[in-house]
Amino acid sequence: MSPQEVLDHADQLRRGLGVDFRDRMVTSLYEESRRIAARVVRRRGESSWDLDQRIDRIVTSPVWGLPLMLLLLAVVFWITIVGANYPSEWIARLLFSIERVGAALFEALGAPGWLTGLVWHGVWRSLAWVVSVMLPPMAIFFPLFTILEDLGYLPRVAFNLDWLFHKAGAHGKQALSMAMGFGCNAAGVISTRIIDSPRERLIAILTNNFVPCNGRFPTLIMLGMLFVGAAVPPALASVAAAGSVVAVVLIGAVFTFFVSWLLARTVLRGQASAFTLELPPYRRPSVLRILYTSLIDRTAFVLLRAVMISAPAGAVIWILGNIHASGASLAEHVARSLDPFGRALGLDGVILLAYIIAIPANEIVVPTMLMVYTGAGMMTEAGSLEELRRILVDAHGWSLLTAVCLMLFSLLHNPCGTTILTIWKETRSARWTALGALMPLGFAFLVTFLVASAARWLG
Amino acid sequence: MTGFLSLLFLLGGLILLLFAPRLGLVPRWRARRLRRERAVTEDGLKHLLLYSLRGQPATQESLAGSLRLSARKLVRLLARMEAKGLIHSTAGHIELQPDGERRAREIVRAHRLWERYLTDELRTPLEKVHSEAERAEHTLSRERLDALEAHLGHPLRDPHGDPIPLANGSITEIQARQLSDCFAGEKIEVVHVEDEPEFLFREILALGLRPGQRLQVLESSPEAVVVWDGERRLRLTLPEAANIHVRSAPDLAVRPPGTIPLDQLPELQPAEVVEIDPEFRGLARRRLLDLGLTPSATVVAELRTPFGDPRAYRVRGTLVALRNDQAEHVWVRPKEARVET
Repeated sequence: MSPQEVLDHADQLRRGLGVDFRDRMVTSLYEESRRIAARVVRRRGESSWDLDQRIDRIVTSPVWGLPLMLLLLAVVFWITIVGANYPSEWIARLLFSIERVGAALFEALGAPGWLTGLVWHGVWRSLAWVVSVMLPPMAIFFPLFTILEDLGYLPRVAFNLDWLFHKAGAHGKQALSMAMGFGCNAAGVISTRIIDSPRERLIAILTNNFVPCNGRFPTLIMLGMLFVGAAVPPALASVAAAGSVVAVVLIGAVFTFFVSWLLARTVLRGQASAFTLELPPYRRPSVLRILYTSLIDRTAFVLLRAVMISAPAGAVIWILGNIHASGASLAEHVARSLDPFGRALGLDGVILLAYIIAIPANEIVVPTMLMVYTGAGMMTEAGSLEELRRILVDAHGWSLLTAVCLMLFSLLHNPCGTTILTIWKETRSARWTALGALMPLGFAFLVTFLVASAARWLG
Repeated sequence: MTGFLSLLFLLGGLILLLFAPRLGLVPRWRARRLRRERAVTEDGLKHLLLYSLRGQPATQESLAGSLRLSARKLVRLLARMEAKGLIHSTAGHIELQPDGERRAREIVRAHRLWERYLTDELRTPLEKVHSEAERAEHTLSRERLDALEAHLGHPLRDPHGDPIPLANGSITEIQARQLSDCFAGEKIEVVHVEDEPEFLFREILALGLRPGQRLQVLESSPEAVVVWDGERRLRLTLPEAANIHVRSAPDLAVRPPGTIPLDQLPELQPAEVVEIDPEFRGLARRRLLDLGLTPSATVVAELRTPFGDPRAYRVRGTLVALRNDQAEHVWVRPKEARVET
């Protein structure tokens, strides 16, 4: 027989197999493995109802399942926020003192002023800012999250919440990639790999941005304290501030479900879909594995990518703040030209400029804004809330509306550069990357514009 | 000077907008017109092929009717097709040339494979697959079709029961009779449901009849045909019965008594898997099989969420969650003993 005849013959035979060929194959594989297992695996005792099943009854119970889940999530957040405060300060102090030393060294060596500025006050400062804000929360959040994952609890969360996601055309495991997104959206996008159905995975990738990551949380908390907290009696201030942050997170969740629903019915209609979710047995977490996955795989990975992408941003910021033309810095010129558009969204030109510059990393939004407002030549932070209020409210006319619109914009706007890059790496598709970047931006413009217009119309 | 420069820029921009290769408005508009022209040509070829396979002569009238073209446009289309050597027409009679016939078979293959893909992988409702495939058939390349065919496991029939042409273009016509020609008492299998006219097709689907289903004819009269599907008596009008093609089958495929869908299995009640719905195919079916839900496997419903959906089942020692809209396609037979808690 010639090779072609063999192929033709094989083709002929294949057509005789019938539609249930795959069924029969899988069935025979399972039968064979069952037969082998029955011969070589010995079971001691017949424990029909073990500890795992007892725990499962509780964590998925109609009464305790959801409250338990919320409680665990709250505890993880609390530990992260409280625990990250001090290390953040230490790292910031260390890195900023290196900046001072480095700049002094450059000056002593007689380097030109612009070089010192670009390298130390531009690139280094941006790196220092991103690392000090980003590293401690991630180094706490990811290990905690990995413990829950290793225990086997997270699949139960996906199981409990699947009904909600099902209604939106998404997968219950999206709850996990969303939770991961609180740590970092880029890590959230990577974590969608656990979703094995193409359509639901894309939904999870494209909507992960609606969960505010820890680069955006400081901004939200600052605004909540400064504006929402200040708008109510002092006794209720902290409650109102916390409430406003929770409200923003809830709005994010609503958007996640709404956009998932929309995507499943429009652009993603042509993608195949199937639900599977295994609930593995509970296990004792292994410390080494947790440290490895959370610190090397997640934290270091995300940090490295953020550093690579925010260094050039530092250079751009310094150049914009230090090149002057007709009496104002380039940054001020750009901000002024963006101002009308910013006003229409309830924001202003400086805020929009800060968001454009901060596409690489959201951590530097507020420092960049303050740089332009105060006319300083580098990113700065305010000494206290009082000083911040003076700069924003008294000198630049921020109102409650500005704060609300900024919170919404911060929640909904395009993902940061790191996340966009990650979306591309995960999907390898320019189309989905563009959609993932531009769709949230469109929603951000639309929502802030509507809120600002409504507020102005109502007075 | 500035005015002149800006005018120049404006003009340049306008020219670019209109004539930029590929992206300009004019090239885009031309590409769209070419695509549409190709689609009409291909639809025409398909019509001619399907008529000749049925042994009916295609005429200018039948072609104009099927493509919804005016007489003037039809003449232009025929001239274009003839110039390309796809057809040969003589005094009202149109004949496919070898080139045209090969192209027509490719289009039919694209159409039917895409219908199979929509039904199996995307679980598109049967009444919608035809119109979607009508659009997709003109955009699928040869390579994509071959890949699709392999991915779908080299299917022989489209979801209506029509044969899918092989890559070399050959079509194995199915041997079948109309249901309206069957006698009372005959045991049959539905092999094909005609998808045109659409209103009849929808009526047939609404009755729950699908290709692959086994039936017994109870009555057959000039007014109506009554069939038994193992659970229900179905009454079909004569036009409906004439649009269903069947062949003789050895017996009704009835599930054993006491078989229930998995989503209705009481908690902690062990059961044996009987089968997965034959219609539940593609990725979704493969996933169920991969989880070990093969015939004769034992399954126990162990957990349910606060919302009642999904539920978690123990299969072959592992706990897997299934949504109710998946579990309802798995048929099980409850066993005697219950699990002790």
